[in-house]
Amino acid sequence: MNKLWKEFSKGLWKDLPPFKLVLGLCPVLAVTSTAENGFGMGMAVIFVLTLSNLLVSLVRNLIPAKVRIACFIVIAASLVVAVELLMQAYVYPLYQQLGIFVPLIVVNCIILGRAEAFASKNPPLPAIADGLGMGIGFTMSLTFLGGLREFFGHGQLFGHHVAWAGFEPVSFMAEAPGAFVSLGLLLCAMNYFTNLQRKRKGLAPIDGPTHDCGSCGACGSK
Amino acid sequence: MQEYFLLFIAAIFVNNIVLAQYLGNCPFIGTSKETSVAIGMGGAVVFVAVMAAAITWLVQEYLLAPLGLGFLQTLAFILVIASLVQFVEMFLKKMVPPLYKSLGIFLPLITTNCAVMGIALICQRNEFGFVKAVAFATASGLGFMLALVVLAGIREKLEIRRVPRAMRGTPVGLVMAGLMSLAFFAFKGMI
Amino acid sequence: MITTSALTLFGLGLGASTVLAVASKLLFVKEDPRIAKVEDLLPGANCGGCGFPGCSGCAAAIVAGKAAAGACVVADLESMAAIASIMGQEIEEREPEIAFRDCTGGARAEERFAYKGVMDCQAAHMLHGGSKICPEGCLGLGTCVSVCPFDAIHMGPEGLPVVNPNECRACGKCADACPRGVISVVSMSSRLLHLNETTDCLAPCRQKCPGQINIPRYIEQVKAGDFEGAVNTIRERNPLLIACGRVCPRPCETACRRSHVDAPVGINMLKRFVADREMHSGSHLSIPCAKDTGRRIAVIGGGPAGLSCAYFLRRLGHNPTIFDAMPALGGQLRYGIPEYRLPKSDLDWEIQGILDLGIDVRLKSKFGKDYDIDSLKADGYEAVFLGIGAWQASGMYAEGEDLAGVWGGIEFLTAHALGQKIDVGRKVIVVGGGNTAIDCARTCVRLGAEVTMLYRRTRTEMPANPEEITGAEEEGVTFTFLAAPTRVRGDENDRATHLEYKMMELGEPDDSGRRRPVPVEGSETLMEADLIIAAIGQKPDLTCLYDENAETCPVETTRWQTIVADPDTFQTIVPGVFTAGDVYTGPDLVISAVGDGRKAARSIHYYLQQDGKIPVPELVQRELIPYTLFSEIDGVSRKERAHMPHLCHGDDRNRTFNEVEGALSESEARTEADRCLRCGLTCYDRDVRKEPGAAQNLRE
Repeated sequence: MNKLWKEFSKGLWKDLPPFKLVLGLCPVLAVTSTAENGFGMGMAVIFVLTLSNLLVSLVRNLIPAKVRIACFIVIAASLVVAVELLMQAYVYPLYQQLGIFVPLIVVNCIILGRAEAFASKNPPLPAIADGLGMGIGFTMSLTFLGGLREFFGHGQLFGHHVAWAGFEPVSFMAEAPGAFVSLGLLLCAMNYFTNLQRKRKGLAPIDGPTHDCGSCGACGSK
Repeated sequence: MQEYFLLFIAAIFVNNIVLAQYLGNCPFIGTSKETSVAIGMGGAVVFVAVMAAAITWLVQEYLLAPLGLGFLQTLAFILVIASLVQFVEMFLKKMVPPLYKSLGIFLPLITTNCAVMGIALICQRNEFGFVKAVAFATASGLGFMLALVVLAGIREKLEIRRVPRAMRGTPVGLVMAGLMSLAFFAFKGMI
Repeated sequence: MITTSALTLFGLGLGASTVLAVASKLLFVKEDPRIAKVEDLLPGANCGGCGFPGCSGCAAAIVAGKAAAGACVVADLESMAAIASIMGQEIEEREPEIAFRDCTGGARAEERFAYKGVMDCQAAHMLHGGSKICPEGCLGLGTCVSVCPFDAIHMGPEGLPVVNPNECRACGKCADACPRGVISVVSMSSRLLHLNETTDCLAPCRQKCPGQINIPRYIEQVKAGDFEGAVNTIRERNPLLIACGRVCPRPCETACRRSHVDAPVGINMLKRFVADREMHSGSHLSIPCAKDTGRRIAVIGGGPAGLSCAYFLRRLGHNPTIFDAMPALGGQLRYGIPEYRLPKSDLDWEIQGILDLGIDVRLKSKFGKDYDIDSLKADGYEAVFLGIGAWQASGMYAEGEDLAGVWGGIEFLTAHALGQKIDVGRKVIVVGGGNTAIDCARTCVRLGAEVTMLYRRTRTEMPANPEEITGAEEEGVTFTFLAAPTRVRGDENDRATHLEYKMMELGEPDDSGRRRPVPVEGSETLMEADLIIAAIGQKPDLTCLYDENAETCPVETTRWQTIVADPDTFQTIVPGVFTAGDVYTGPDLVISAVGDGRKAARSIHYYLQQDGKIPVPELVQRELIPYTLFSEIDGVSRKERAHMPHLCHGDDRNRTFNEVEGALSESEARTEADRCLRCGLTCYDRDVRKEPGAAQNLRE
């Protein structure tokens, strides 16, 4: 149980995507113009990630190493199709809002990254815990970033007007540049606090996590 | 003719695939540390995006649509793109070794590049014809390459500048991308 | 519906896999299986640190031989060793490197204008090339400090960046960030290989020293009491510090800025002090050498040039062998400089320290007789260094100089050093005015003779060191100036008895700037002598280079019988054959031979490592840099120069070969070191702070 909790909780802070595990940037930037979109996207990712982790973990010993990436992609793609259909049926406006980013979950590095890095090497239960944890962490981050941008960009949160009277919305924040800059600043704040903690413990400061394709490994180029 | 010209301008500058449409951000941040790498990656993306757009258009038009299987789009497309990338890699290695040497190394990175899949999906959602889809894919790919190479140039300079520790690496890269995106906003009024 | 979709997907998948399967057969490219193996071992970070696009690119480059097995900057030693074993190579550990700051200016460096811009060196440099007067020095805004990813650099109290050697990983970011090239990443080898460049922080003494010793640095170490550090600093340029500390005529001191205030800093006294201190401690300080390369080099001649060349080659990891015709190493140091100036025991101690690094020696084997260039190459020596010196005494061009009792200066000193009994008789005449002449004269004094020196110009034109002249005078040598020998008269046994000489007067200055002596007609005079020593000059003896039968010499020579070589690389016209020392320059200082020996070693190193290509830095410093030469020094108060103590006096001095000059005491040495102004290119320590706007003392 302890181990499961460990796998679950690491996604909530230690390896919190996308801030500590810089993966899956496109949806992070694209759908976080409002908190609601971020939350919706996050839920879709939780669904796909948890189930794909489970499935990958179940078949991990059956798949030959050469074609494993292709299999992971097929599993993820099937799940994404399911999510698409479910969203069309139950939350059509949100599906419309997220646009092509719902089908693009299939190429989100986080899905393939976790499949390759974790699920293909662990039994189903920890894989589910890992997927759930990562998914929830991802949802939290997206909701937070979405809330931030929605508040500064429109003065709203989840579509409700929350800003004080006289608040001038900064439309920059709701647009693409705001997405890049706010994510950059959030990552910076994250690094800053990490180093502040390390300093308290008397450790040398380190550079923040770098994003490169290698940290995902989904492409099979290792 | 004018229509295609506008399409090009729109796809490269106004609706730049990375800076305005949020597509392909992972490789955009990941491979923009060196100009030479950025050029190779950009070239590979243009190459694959055009072929992917063409083939997925054919798959959609002649396979999925007649059978009424539109909901399988995602699954079919990713399958086609993944196979395509593999095929192109093998083809280039055998037939055009010089091109493989400059682009080949980036091909595996492209399977999971949402720009390629995104371009194919956008073509479908906007119901472009075949030629227009190919043209749009070319322009978008070039837009990706432009953004990537420019950011790589900026980050090469940043390497030796005094950047606060917490901002080093990805954060400052993202802020730079934000500023570039802001600059590209200026093209909004063009069309 | 379900059947259709399943069938469609199945069809698509089958189609795609069929195409791929067929393609993989048709388009199969035979690939080195090692690429996949290497790629598996690489970390897969695709960081680009190796300079190749991604790890697969790096793997391909390693297998193709374009990159070393250790090319990956991220992989640990274990996986690098595994890669190397796939490639059938052994992994070599690289020599440790560290960031090094080459500027001593800091807060004392004068400013041309007050800079109020962005506090960043690169920004400051953009504005008229920076605010400091010195065109090369540190701007002190600390860009290197802020770009260092490891926090290994901090701004020191002097306004200069200080590198923490424990933290520095030699990533080179600081060097990239510095707009003035003040900071660079260096290893021990690269320090040993470095030639002075005009962009270095070169104090005038450092520019003037033929050995390019970092003089200000070792003086500062003496001042701080770090005597071992000072010895190590000197040894980066000069392995013969005991010898040079005693015999060097100190060209550096002529360039010392303090000579414009009172007297130059006693640089050589300090060198001698630290060298003697090491010797008297009884053990040699350990000298680090680079990893063995196994390349063998023949060093012909065990004099200062050969010893220096072999020493630096050994420190660079090569295996030199010194060949010498004499029974002991040292060359002119042993056979040309008398015991009272450089005791043989001290010289032995110093040479032993060099040989202990692992240098082979073949004594009493004569070049041209026992071996030659071809036989050496056949024996597996990959390069040859010719440092055979200048051992042939020039003649007086006077009638009768081949009579018995007439010696050449160097012949006399060598014979004496070899322990031969020479009957000097009662009266000795030494002709010449150089250090060799004085050495002959003072040696004869100690052998009990009455010595007269004959020199064709006056005392002020004498090339010998002034304290040597004074020393000779104190020991009773008489001087006859403005006199040139014309004829040696002998007795019936053809033994010289008298020297006939002519008086001279000084005419117009010649090429060397000294006034040319002109004979006075009818002034011939006879002087009685039992022994006549002609110490007029020396030249290399190149007969060993000629074949027994052939008239030609493999290397090109000049009319002064010196060997011709490239002045920067010291390579002769025969590739792989290098030269330096007196055989290249003609008779010159010990420190010149030592310095050129190092440069030749540097060339040999590159010759071996880079297939014969020897790089020469574009900005290599040859002349004194004009803007660093000041005509006056302000803001410095006078401090008296230390005096060298004499170890023996009176009869003891005239009768024995005991060493005459002594060494400073520790407190004297530190006081003398404190006189140093710690010059850089333009800055120096002022006792009084310069008033703003005061006149610049740059020489226009």
